[in-house]
Amino acid sequence: MIGHPCPGGTVVMSAVRKSSMVTGSGRKIKDNAADWHNLMKRWDKLNDEGFDVATNIVNLRRSQSDHLLLENSSSSSSSSSAQQVGGVSELEDECFKLQEVINKMVAVVTKMEHLMKLQQGIEDLEEFQFKGEGRKAPLFHTWNTKQFGAVSRVLFDSFSEELKLKQTILQELAHTSSSDLCMVYLSSWLHQPFIPTHTRLTLEALLLETGHRPL
Amino acid sequence: MSRLAVSTLHDVLRKSFASLESSQKLWISVLAECSLLMVSLGNLAEQWRALCGVRISNTPLRGFPDLENRLRSKLLEATDTVLVKLNEKMFSLQSIRDSISNQVSAVLQLYEQNADSLDLLAVTERSTTTPSVADMLEWLQDAERHYRVQFLRRKTLLQTLRADDLQFLESAPKRWKSLDSPGAQEQITDTLCKVSFFLESR
Repeated sequence: MIGHPCPGGTVVMSAVRKSSMVTGSGRKIKDNAADWHNLMKRWDKLNDEGFDVATNIVNLRRSQSDHLLLENSSSSSSSSSAQQVGGVSELEDECFKLQEVINKMVAVVTKMEHLMKLQQGIEDLEEFQFKGEGRKAPLFHTWNTKQFGAVSRVLFDSFSEELKLKQTILQELAHTSSSDLCMVYLSSWLHQPFIPTHTRLTLEALLLETGHRPL
Repeated sequence: MSRLAVSTLHDVLRKSFASLESSQKLWISVLAECSLLMVSLGNLAEQWRALCGVRISNTPLRGFPDLENRLRSKLLEATDTVLVKLNEKMFSLQSIRDSISNQVSAVLQLYEQNADSLDLLAVTERSTTTPSVADMLEWLQDAERHYRVQFLRRKTLLQTLRADDLQFLESAPKRWKSLDSPGAQEQITDTLCKVSFFLESR
């Protein structure tokens, strides 16, 4: 148990570490942290799924273009146009799959926004309860309540910007003839430039602070 | 006198070939892991090349003005991670090389110590199940040389690679593959076949 001395010499026990005894705002923040972790895991899975579909789209586009080149250089036949129709419908299917992945990612980011708003609510409540002076002791180990809000905002901003990028990729991928640009789209999807590596560390810090990870 | 020396040598030779057998398996498995990492490096180099060939401001991605820097940063990070993993594999190869070198030195040292009591007949005598001491020493030295040279060449190649040097990164997988020496590897497998009865006998 962490003890914090306060004026007068008495020791105030900070919020207890055993999860069964975390209540009120602490409980809410701890649950939010678990939700953040689960949402990010879900996002990662969707990212991998989306990357596979996006790669298929690029490959289908490439084989379509190769087909067109072959057709133009030789006399067209009914079998090759049937193949092309088949290729187009396959491409449409993959684009539809990618749209579905994006829809699920939108749902994830919407839930992240909700978590961020919940955190804001907890901060507002604390503002009201402690009349702007804040808590005397941290809810968990060292973070003050505002820090949880700051983390939520940073995480939400990253994922929401990343989602915008992915939506742009979805719109453009199947219509891009430049192979370099296709590669840049795939690269952007895979590496998630708006979710910096330290975002994962931020989540770990949140989980450590709220006791989900042992110190 | 020479019978005792030959018998002592045989014991150490058995240990060396047993060690060579397990080292060869480990070497092949570490090289396979390196090949996969080289494929990743090739993919990353392709991505770098594509990013260099595109002006983001002329594409639908222009709405993300700092995208290029962020993507470069991510590619650099990913490339660095692969290079670090490759360097770790080098440590494994180094330890396999050292293990074989130590074994072979020990055998040669023992041979030197007993050289006076070993005549030409003793070292060249062979049977259906037991190759001659001279042959076995030669095979061990050949194997040791192969691993020593392989390690040196691969280590040298890796030292030319930097995460921000696209030219070297692009050519790395091909250059790595060119260092394969299937002939020498087969020779070691052949050696182990030739000593298999010897290893089983006691």
